Amino acid sequence: MIVVDEYLAIRSLVGDTPSDLPDDVLAITTSVHWRILQRLHLPRGGQLSQAMAALSEPGRAAFRRPAPEILEILDPRPLLDQAAEISAAYGGTGLLIAEMLTASLHHGRTLWYGSERNVGRRTRDIARDLGITVNVVT
Amino acid sequence: MTKGEQLLADMRRARRSGDPRLDDADRAILRRLTSGDLADEFAEALAQDLADDDLLGGTSPDDK
Repeated sequence: MIVVDEYLAIRSLVGDTPSDLPDDVLAITTSVHWRILQRLHLPRGGQLSQAMAALSEPGRAAFRRPAPEILEILDPRPLLDQAAEISAAYGGTGLLIAEMLTASLHHGRTLWYGSERNVGRRTRDIARDLGITVNVVT
Repeated sequence: MTKGEQLLADMRRARRSGDPRLDDADRAILRRLTSGDLADEFAEALAQDLADDDLLGGTSPDDK
């Protein structure tokens, strides 16, 4: 199982994952799923919201409740204590970063992103300190 | 090929082909988010989620 970001999660639903992504089950944290769900449930106006509103009902269902054989959503409960510990150790990171780093510690010490701009500087710094490899594939 | 290998190959193929609940129009929309004309707006929306929510995004500007 490998931990991925919003870009690779969406590409997995589409069936368009990059060829250099390992052939393994993909997983996201609840925070990542939360950010994906905001695109459906919290329209901010603009073309993005219009496009999301045009998804079919089955398409929205795939977004809301991904099939685990394609994209698994990690149960946050077993990871939460360690995520809080990591957050505190590095000056109070947000849940998104802490949860992803913790998940990666339990799943191969790697993180996979589908866009360079989705990797924050803090994520890179803490990942390096924890021995986690950050990969970006497009 | 053993039964197990066949099963794993089938699972891999299903995983690689995406979610069948998405139709072609849905797939086209989602491609616009990840690599098309909506990529900038999508990236900005993700960043805004962190800016709007300190629990999710933390309080350091470096987290955003």
